[in-house]
Amino acid sequence: MLAAVDAGSLRFGDIGAAVGIAFTYFTIIYLTGLGGLFSERSGIVNIGLEGMMIIGTVTGSWGAHHFTLPPPDGLGWGLPWGPIMGLLIGMLAGAIFASIHALVTVTFRVDQIVSGVVINLVAIGIARFLSTIFFGQATQSDPGQPHLNPINIPLLSRIPWGFGRAFQQLSPMVVVAALLVVPVWYALYRTRWGLRLRSCGENPEAARSLGVRVAPLRYEGVLLSGALAGLAGAYLSVEVTNSWGEGQTQGLGFIALAALILSNWDPIRLMLAAFIFGFAQAIPLRLMDAPGLRLIPDPFVRMTPYVVTIVVLAGFVGKVRPPAAAGRAYEGGTT
Amino acid sequence: MRGITKRFPGVVANDDVSLELRAGEVHALVGENGAGKSTLMRILYGMYPHDEGSVEVHGQAVRIHSPRDAIALGIGMVHQHFVLVDPFTVAENVILGQEGGPIVRADEANRKVTELAAAYGFQIDPAAAVESLSVGEEQRVEILKALYRGVDILILDEPTAVLTPTEAEALFENLRRLRDSGKSIVFISHKLDEVLEIADRITVLRRGKVVGETTPSATSKAQLAEMMVGRPVLFRLEKPATRIGEPVLHLEGVHAGRLHGLDLEVRAGEIVGVAGVEGNGQRDLADAIMGLRPVESGRILLDDRDLTSMDTAEIRRAGTAFVPEDRQEQGLVLDMSLWENALLGRQAEPEYARRGGVLSIRKVKHLAEGLITNYDVRARNIDTTARTLSGGNQQKLILARELDGDPKLLLAAQPTRGLDVGAIEFVWRQILDQKAAGRAVLLISAELDEIYALSDRIVTLFEGRITAEYPSDAPPEEVGRGMLGDVDEAEAG
Amino acid sequence: MAATGVSMPTEAPRERPEWVENLAGQALALVVALLIALLLGSLIIFAYGESPATVYGAIFHFGFGSKDGFGYVLTEATPLIFSALAVAVCFKGGMFNIGVEGQYLVGMVTASWAALKLDFLPGPLLMWTAILFGMLGGIAFALVPAILKVKTGAHEVVTTIMMNGIAVSLVAWAINGPLKFTTQEGTHNVNLRTDPFMANARIPDLGHMFGIRSAVHLSWLFIGALFVAALIWFVLKRMRLGYEARAVGASAGSARAGGISIGNVQIQLFVLSGALAGLVGMQQLLADKNYLPIGYEAALGFTGIAVAFLGQNSAPGIVFAAILWGVLARGETAVQIQTDVPREFVIILQGILIISVVVTYQLAKRRLLARQLQRAASTEDFEDSAATLDTEAMAKEDR
Repeated sequence: MLAAVDAGSLRFGDIGAAVGIAFTYFTIIYLTGLGGLFSERSGIVNIGLEGMMIIGTVTGSWGAHHFTLPPPDGLGWGLPWGPIMGLLIGMLAGAIFASIHALVTVTFRVDQIVSGVVINLVAIGIARFLSTIFFGQATQSDPGQPHLNPINIPLLSRIPWGFGRAFQQLSPMVVVAALLVVPVWYALYRTRWGLRLRSCGENPEAARSLGVRVAPLRYEGVLLSGALAGLAGAYLSVEVTNSWGEGQTQGLGFIALAALILSNWDPIRLMLAAFIFGFAQAIPLRLMDAPGLRLIPDPFVRMTPYVVTIVVLAGFVGKVRPPAAAGRAYEGGTT
Repeated sequence: MRGITKRFPGVVANDDVSLELRAGEVHALVGENGAGKSTLMRILYGMYPHDEGSVEVHGQAVRIHSPRDAIALGIGMVHQHFVLVDPFTVAENVILGQEGGPIVRADEANRKVTELAAAYGFQIDPAAAVESLSVGEEQRVEILKALYRGVDILILDEPTAVLTPTEAEALFENLRRLRDSGKSIVFISHKLDEVLEIADRITVLRRGKVVGETTPSATSKAQLAEMMVGRPVLFRLEKPATRIGEPVLHLEGVHAGRLHGLDLEVRAGEIVGVAGVEGNGQRDLADAIMGLRPVESGRILLDDRDLTSMDTAEIRRAGTAFVPEDRQEQGLVLDMSLWENALLGRQAEPEYARRGGVLSIRKVKHLAEGLITNYDVRARNIDTTARTLSGGNQQKLILARELDGDPKLLLAAQPTRGLDVGAIEFVWRQILDQKAAGRAVLLISAELDEIYALSDRIVTLFEGRITAEYPSDAPPEEVGRGMLGDVDEAEAG
Repeated sequence: MAATGVSMPTEAPRERPEWVENLAGQALALVVALLIALLLGSLIIFAYGESPATVYGAIFHFGFGSKDGFGYVLTEATPLIFSALAVAVCFKGGMFNIGVEGQYLVGMVTASWAALKLDFLPGPLLMWTAILFGMLGGIAFALVPAILKVKTGAHEVVTTIMMNGIAVSLVAWAINGPLKFTTQEGTHNVNLRTDPFMANARIPDLGHMFGIRSAVHLSWLFIGALFVAALIWFVLKRMRLGYEARAVGASAGSARAGGISIGNVQIQLFVLSGALAGLVGMQQLLADKNYLPIGYEAALGFTGIAVAFLGQNSAPGIVFAAILWGVLARGETAVQIQTDVPREFVIILQGILIISVVVTYQLAKRRLLARQLQRAASTEDFEDSAATLDTEAMAKEDR
């Protein structure tokens, strides 16, 4: 009864669904953003996140297709191996791809933004190439790709008036992504590795003078960023769209960067930022009927995520503090 | 260290240098900029490999490949420019690299640091963020870092360059304590007064070679200086006597950045030296005058023109020349050629940029050639990149460019930082020539020697204000007090 | 005593001027990078069971083997020249304009508007007006991230990319709205597009003068591209704006202290860049199709970035890089038809090429600098031994 209460022709159920979509995009943006976090905290600016995501999308899709065959001797334990392998392969592929960025920026000390741009360019090409190998076509995969069983979050999915829709039928990866904040925070702030990693991003000379090995740590940061962005991409193609298509990342890698800036490079605040941007994605998808929005022509509503990103960036630069040494190549060898 | 030789492209930084360090002594390593003192110690600390020679620690021949090796051998170094991670706490900075396990516990780290500090009589708060510390405190953190790793040999590279006289005294106290507990200390400095005060033995380097080894009792400041440079050094150039004219630069109640109501006046034909420890607003003063930093309130006047809200180009056009304290960040575009750098600051002048914006390259190159000849800038030709010039030549180029326009005011900030004696003399002479030509000069410097050598009037800058004014023959102790803000109303200018 | 002519304080033997050395170094780096890419590409070719000679031969032959083929190459290169110049102009000033993609799309929309709505203009005036509007569209779209950067400091990499996303929606709206086609009613035509433009909006064909078929669409725009490249070279090297831009890009602090207004320079660069970006779409719009389709040729903006890096952000380098890219792009078809290697191989080759160029250029720059330092230090007398410290500092700060 109350589910039919309207705000214009927009129903609470729609808002709930929008929040659900926001969670979905939150997962992508948060994972990618975490990747960027590790890289930048170690001192390497990574605008190639989009490219790493792209690699994750195509390889993840392949993995999901390829591994859906039942494993021999019932070793499957009833797990949906296809999607799981897809996600893992996407992660691995992202890390391998990121090693190019690491090599170019840490070892050869090419400008980090230049390298990031190049990475993005190259990723598109590689994705096409892999697609012809995997799927026989250059720009998309075959339909009918398996995915993980969606879950309903207990309790929260029962919220009445349609808001509960936000927590229904979510991919388990959403929960995984949200829970990641715990080990990430711990690793960054409570471990020796995290302390050393952060020192590389703030003052690599100081780190080196104390015997900390800057180059390997930066490699680790970048590879992690590739793994996480790749995972995000795989999640996108395996769980969200159930297929691979060229351009499906839609600039999310850059939106993740904006979220990272907004969060002041903090893993906890990044969750909030990722959610905000995730919600911006949901607006053109589910809230087109909201009062006020109906007056704006369709294509303009589709611009929402981009406009939101720009507004956020314009308002928050100068109020945030990036890792001090990020963006500058570090001389001094790898001792 | 025996027979250490180290070569860089084009230069032999250390040439067969031998140094012996005993337990429980403060050994000073003295020489002018570029003599090779820092290089030698960096070799000891494993930051550079040496090309020839050998190093022995406690009688054992060793090869030090990295700071880690050095630390393992009990050698620690406190650099001239601190290497601290600003957002980290003191404790985090101290334990970085030697955390004692994969997990880091803040309370435990804090405890360890407090204990260590107490053992050596240091005062420090382990949980404070380094960016909130004073310079003297930061230095203590650096020393703690070394002590935490159990060093027996502590190398200090120009430690007093950034300290107030009081802080320097405190440092010396701590050093004596360390020495008495058996540590060896290498004290790199070019400040001969301090060296004579704190050192047990002194080694002098010149142009990469050892030219002498002595003790404070057996030598004097003049003798040391002569060894450093190889010829008798004039500590004072002759100041031309000029008639001092009307005020040219006038600052009134200026609030900008760290400046809090600063008043200052410089007259034609006069050199005013602003003395003060770095960090009291020197940079902001220079930036405010040049329009690189907005002035929040107050006025800046050049003759009668109000510069306060003008942009840098206009301020330059009004007749201001600027020799910045940071050659590389504010003075030259290192990746451009010499002639392109000669144009900087004058690219709007119709002589060099015709209508429509096309540059008269021939005229610029002609200008550049004249500049490098007249100001003795050693370079192969005007097309070579500014980066290839030595520090001294870079500074000469900047001077040449700035002085060529017949400015009314010369603003020189730390003009001889990092230069060797020959270049210093040249720069000083140029500045005195400006005075002789009847121009106004505002000199900002952290080196009291320089202030005394050049100034007609000395003012002290402390916490963004001019605290006192002194005649050029005032005793340094008094000026030192002004630098610390330790003046009563009667003295304040 | 001012010397006339080049002054040589020491009697050094007559050496090559430094710009020659720099150019030689750059060219060498490019050749090395190309070889590396071809080598790595060979590995992939082997995996397909083909021989590199066949594959590379097919590409080369397709581009240079016939007049039409070469015509295709130049046609392909034309928009890339504009696009790469747009990127390079900003890059010289230390900024990354990744938004060429969106700027040229908007330029196409505004040019289409002019071609359709101002069709009363006689003769070539319509063409020039359309081109002008194309540039204006690009400028307007580029000004948004530019002003944001100058006023708020928003990093142009992300803002320009966001603008790209906005541009796509804008074009879709334009084709469905104000520029919707009117002449074809209820036909089989499924592709959304605008009405065709008047014939005098077209840029005249050039190819026919050389025996190249008009289907290749080699137009005077190519000559225009060469001219614009020369113009940009002149602006960067010989004009005050170029000088100020390079100073800002190399050392913003020193530029400021020298009285250069960084914000002004940055805006001017973006305006120039936007204008160049607006020209990118003119090949397809006014030389090729003469209408604006929804299935426009995309990715010219991003490819422009690749070409800019390949050409090391210099105008002459960009022209050559664009032609090289054109050869490779057109070679895709040859590879597809004549060998067992898929056409996407060329894309991989392009990718490897960009990476290796970027790396070899960086290494070459350092080697060159080290040699210059060495030579400089040896011609000074040891009095200036401060060179020691500066070398260390330089090594530490080298980027």
